[in-house]
Amino acid sequence: MTRYILSRAAQALLVLWGAFTLSFVLLQVMPGDAVLIKFQDPELGLSPQQISDIRASYGADESAFVQYAHVLGRTLAGQLGYSIETGVPVSRMLHAAYPTTLRLAVVSFGGAIMLAASFATAALLAPLRPLRAALRLVPGLASGIPVFWLEIVAIQLVSFHWKLVPVVGVSGWAAAVLPGLALAIPISAPLTQVFLSAAERVMAQPFIDVLRARGASPLRILYAHVLPNALPPTLTISGLVFGEILAGAVVTETVFGLDGLGQLAQQAVANQDVAVLQAIILISVAGFVVINFTVDALHPLIDPRIRRTQAGGAA
Amino acid sequence: MLHPFRAVLSSSRPVLALAACMAFHAPAPARATDAASPGGTLLYLEKQPHKNLYPPAGGFYPNGGILAQITDRLTWQNTDTLKIEPWIATGWSVNADSTVFTFTLRPGVTFSDGTPVDAAAVALNYDTFGKGNRALHLPPSEVINNYERSEVIDPLTVRFYFSKPSPGFLQGTSVIGSGLVSPASLRRPLDEWGDARHVIGSGPFVVRDEVPGKSVDLVTRPDYAWGPEQLAPQGPSRLAGVRIIVVPEDSIRIGAFIAGQADFARAVEAYDEEQIIRHGDTIYAASTRGVNNSVVFRPDNPLVADPRVRLALLHATDRPDILRTLYSPNYPLARSVIAADAQGFVDHAADLTYDPALAGRLLDEAGWTMAPDGWRRRNGVALALAVHEALPQPQSRSMLVLLAQQWRRVGVRLTILSGSPAMTVLDNLNPAVTPLFHAEVGRADPDVIKSAFYPTNRNVLLQKGGQSRHVEHFVDPELNGLLDQVASDTDPATRLADLARVQADILAKGYSIPIFEEPQVYAGSARVHDMRFEAVGRPVFYRTWLARP
Repeated sequence: MTRYILSRAAQALLVLWGAFTLSFVLLQVMPGDAVLIKFQDPELGLSPQQISDIRASYGADESAFVQYAHVLGRTLAGQLGYSIETGVPVSRMLHAAYPTTLRLAVVSFGGAIMLAASFATAALLAPLRPLRAALRLVPGLASGIPVFWLEIVAIQLVSFHWKLVPVVGVSGWAAAVLPGLALAIPISAPLTQVFLSAAERVMAQPFIDVLRARGASPLRILYAHVLPNALPPTLTISGLVFGEILAGAVVTETVFGLDGLGQLAQQAVANQDVAVLQAIILISVAGFVVINFTVDALHPLIDPRIRRTQAGGAA
Repeated sequence: MLHPFRAVLSSSRPVLALAACMAFHAPAPARATDAASPGGTLLYLEKQPHKNLYPPAGGFYPNGGILAQITDRLTWQNTDTLKIEPWIATGWSVNADSTVFTFTLRPGVTFSDGTPVDAAAVALNYDTFGKGNRALHLPPSEVINNYERSEVIDPLTVRFYFSKPSPGFLQGTSVIGSGLVSPASLRRPLDEWGDARHVIGSGPFVVRDEVPGKSVDLVTRPDYAWGPEQLAPQGPSRLAGVRIIVVPEDSIRIGAFIAGQADFARAVEAYDEEQIIRHGDTIYAASTRGVNNSVVFRPDNPLVADPRVRLALLHATDRPDILRTLYSPNYPLARSVIAADAQGFVDHAADLTYDPALAGRLLDEAGWTMAPDGWRRRNGVALALAVHEALPQPQSRSMLVLLAQQWRRVGVRLTILSGSPAMTVLDNLNPAVTPLFHAEVGRADPDVIKSAFYPTNRNVLLQKGGQSRHVEHFVDPELNGLLDQVASDTDPATRLADLARVQADILAKGYSIPIFEEPQVYAGSARVHDMRFEAVGRPVFYRTWLARP
């Protein structure tokens, strides 16, 4: 088990370094840089001499390799550097931004699980075969709805028309509810799809017929027998869904004007603010690695078959 | 064609219409005001986050919107008469050739960190704004020309010396870029001015907190007693504070405002004005009194080097059609290079007519003949131009698309470019890539025209001698000479006469196609009272008060 954890950790470090390097390369090949974006603004009225002084002080004209060595060395030393655009330490920006995204992730993931659970129950237990078939199409459709459109409609109806929750001037969990639930809809779609197809496979198995013949209620069959068997693939997918939440956060936070990591990332890309973007990438990749590791670790707990295989392998 | 075009542009409308179809009674709006304090906190929705609060960077409206609340200036420009009136300076004298300015300061004024606003502090401010500070990366201010040095005469008297006549300096002391800040703030490098909490002014509001890129909280300074006379009584603000929240998405910002979630909003597009008025709220269109919203040429590019081509495109532009299609009556048709309420304005409406026949003749004369495919060519080269969308300008992209449609009729192709901010900056410095530029500069002084056109200032025509390294040969010594004179004429009448010559020169050479006089358009809810704006349209919340909901 220790060896397994060590090898996973080594893999994670490799992934982190790869993402770090790739993001640096991508920002390098874009024309211009953050110093140029910030200081060649004609509103500042800087002379060519002043601009070249500023560029020199930031090391903006050093070779890409020297710059890479510098940021890598700084990052390894635990320093995230300063945002060129805002002049604020990156760590302060992250500290201000992460709670928003965390709350968004919790609400949208929790909402997605509840949506997926209630929808799957309806799709499996609804009377009439055509109705069940029709319900089964809905998750596919839901995953096709553009998140930004869904969110704009949600804002217009829930906030502006029904006036249930304000979208500006709110903070904390209150600010996460509407965007979180809107984001939950597309996120719940893959969860529902994977769970439904796994559940169908389980329900086609003979032991379900036996249970039915012995008079177990459909709801009991679903929750006591189908659910535990259909959960493992759904759990695997939910690890991947984390990536979707991060990607969704960029759009959602922009639409709702939330000050989370997604909006920070979007601004960092626009301003080519390398230090900020790389810090966000490191955090996202680390989060992704940790979540998938947790999912892997949870598998044996919920599925006795995996537990047995691992024990057998170790013997 | 008018209506479909508008429908596409109006992002918030289709959804609102959908929402309106659903009959659902709306409960009373939830207001984010501080009920405990006498005046309440005004909630102001900004379109963009501030970038840097070093006062000379205050030209950018989100920066200026904060600086206008937290800093005072030596003088106040009366928004009705445009006269310069006392503020932190109670009086001043200027020598005959406008090279020495002496200011007497109001006693008892302090920065919010407790340090006095005395001659030494004011001298340090102007030394920094006039010359910049290389070690701290602080650039000089574009409104202060020929600055030499300061002299502290006594604690309440300060004198400034200039190497050349600088008649624009007095007005320059009234602009947002000359906001006075404490010596402690002036010791910070440029980067640290991004954090609003670092900027200590003597204004009626103080920064309490900021969330980077998201919000800034201003609180009222209870001991404030030195507002400008035009905004009397000069005591503290009646508000408890102002909360500035950044909502970049137009439909959300305007939608939230209409839904009653905020008191005030900036950057209202023309197509949203109607629904705001219908809702019983107020539209404030503040003039920026400067160089009009214009499309300018970069004559270094051989395609637009011939004045006949530039004048042809001016006459191929149906400006009234642009205004009817995209804008509202708050956007007056431009009648010169500068706005009609700017100082020294001369009406050139007769030179700015829509005349496609004349445009065709001029292009023919210049050798650009119509090919059978409907595009003009000369020696096999098509007259194909490009311009970057200018994000700060209202509906820039739609305006340029309409322009392209109009020029299409005379056989000229216009491509509208868009790209990352860095891409836009780089392209706009290269006349070969962007023979055209979409520009506007606001400032209520004749110097504004120099700010826009002079090579070492914003250099909108891209002359040689400015920031761009791509300019091969274009330079116009005649225009630059006139601009220099406007900036250094000591006699106001001569100055205005030279300003008239500059306007005539720019239009006669076809350097610019002025489209409209650009307003800053805000929306205020019915409970906002006594809303004021400084001379170029930045909101001043100092006198504002909120009625009880």
